[in-house]
Amino acid sequence: MSKTIKLIDIAAARSGDKNDVCNIGVLARTPEDYQLLKQHLSAELVKAHFGSLIQGEVVRYEWDSIEALNFVCNGALDGGASRSMRMDTLGKNFSSHLLRMELTIED
Amino acid sequence: MNVVRIAGAQGFYGDSPMAALSIVAQKGADYLVHDALAELTLSILQKDRLTDPNLGYARDIETLAKFLIPMAHQHGIRIVTNSGGLNPESAAQKVAAILQQQGITGYKIAIITGDDLLERLPELQKNGHELRHLDTDLPFSVNKFPISHANVYTGAKSIADALDQGANLILAGRVADPCLTLGILVHHFKWKLNSDLNQADLDRLASGIAIGHLLECGGQASGGNSYAEWPMDYPISNLGYPIAHVSEDGSAVFTKLESEGGKMSRNTLREQLVYEIHNPAHYITPDVIVDLTQIQLTELEPNHVRLSGAVGKPRPEALKLAIGLNEGFISEQLFYFSWPFAYQKCLRFIEAVKEIWLRLPLKIDRKEFSILGINGITGSEAPMPPSEVLDQMNELGVRIAIKHTEPHVGKVAIQAVTCLGLNGPPGVVSMPAWGKTNRLQLSLWPTLIPRSEVMEQVKIIDL
Repeated sequence: MSKTIKLIDIAAARSGDKNDVCNIGVLARTPEDYQLLKQHLSAELVKAHFGSLIQGEVVRYEWDSIEALNFVCNGALDGGASRSMRMDTLGKNFSSHLLRMELTIED
Repeated sequence: MNVVRIAGAQGFYGDSPMAALSIVAQKGADYLVHDALAELTLSILQKDRLTDPNLGYARDIETLAKFLIPMAHQHGIRIVTNSGGLNPESAAQKVAAILQQQGITGYKIAIITGDDLLERLPELQKNGHELRHLDTDLPFSVNKFPISHANVYTGAKSIADALDQGANLILAGRVADPCLTLGILVHHFKWKLNSDLNQADLDRLASGIAIGHLLECGGQASGGNSYAEWPMDYPISNLGYPIAHVSEDGSAVFTKLESEGGKMSRNTLREQLVYEIHNPAHYITPDVIVDLTQIQLTELEPNHVRLSGAVGKPRPEALKLAIGLNEGFISEQLFYFSWPFAYQKCLRFIEAVKEIWLRLPLKIDRKEFSILGINGITGSEAPMPPSEVLDQMNELGVRIAIKHTEPHVGKVAIQAVTCLGLNGPPGVVSMPAWGKTNRLQLSLWPTLIPRSEVMEQVKIIDL
């Protein structure tokens, strides 16, 4: 049996910009949630979820002491905030979009 | 116990001074850090400097000079800021004039310069610095765009020097954000900064950077912009900004004024800790490379969170230089449509705009269209609502945006589609003031430069 978990139910997130790189810090709500995230929320899944919004590589860093994963998304901000033609030039809502994700987990 | 209290009093150019005023009125801190420079702020300041050579600094420092600095001075609170931007000298002259009008004396303003390398770029290239792009590795010689600014991220030393010389206010330029705080700590605790550092020295500096990082965005560390604390069950209109009570060993207790809104929690701090960080085990700053992965955040009591555990590694050999490039212009406008058929009206409108622009003899480099209420923020990746929902939307908007190189194109292109107010789908709502033509489009060329090429200077003005 598999079950579906909504990221919004187990995590918070904050994203921000550095030139054309957007990082998304994902904060688990509990230590158990952190284990789930660590096991299932891969860089590949995040890159796929963002489709054409992220042109480059996504790198995942584990941050155990604050139960967080940090996703560094390259080529993610249409060339960087001051040249982007998007509305969300700073990628502040990469956090929001990531929290829409659902994880499928085998019991 | 020797503790110094530092407040993150400003998070960006344009932030409200109200939180800082409360902190000063209640003597809630010994130092205020005002961070005015985001990555693209220097581009904005360069536009100001081009229109008036006496501008080019973050002008909210003028407001602070009128309303905050006199009270801060009275209470012995010192202020450290990068509001000097591209023109710390002019910022200092302006602040001095405002303070003199109020009869303030015995006040020292420090100006820190040396980060602005715009004039020296040709010389640097002639001396063999290729200024290769940090991401693409291309040499700067391939750049075709006009340069708007070139500033190197500098460290804590000049801040500490200026405080050692008794400065009450420090106006710096492109000091790296967390180094504003580190400079205060180096001054206050006489921490070793540059040479002959053992692991304990490095860890203290690393802690100073971690504290500075948590303070540099003001209210974002004390409950603002928070998913971790959503639904943000505390007042936000008077959000109290973060205050770090730092001990000599580099550990700190973060708090906020009890009288103000917001919240200080493990959640609000870890949410800010991840902000704009890449590899958390290797956070590079001019003064120390920081491993943030061992950091412990512990809630001691409500609104009191202890930070410890930052680990330092020796500073990098080179400094980061950010060169701003003028790529052209962006022009945009918004239009709204109501029920019935709001979605169909938007599609039809966009189709007509595309046709009109194709007929115009204008060079438009790029066109973007989005439907506000559906995909304005998330673009191509926004999930579509089911068609029965879409058909019944109360209202939806259209955003049209173009990139162009010649300045006249923006106005002509936007004007050319306003005829759709009468000729297009029924009931369009739009106001000229909603749109903006000829917003400068800037890109950044990040590169590295040896420290030996950067000469900082501290100058003091005595009132």
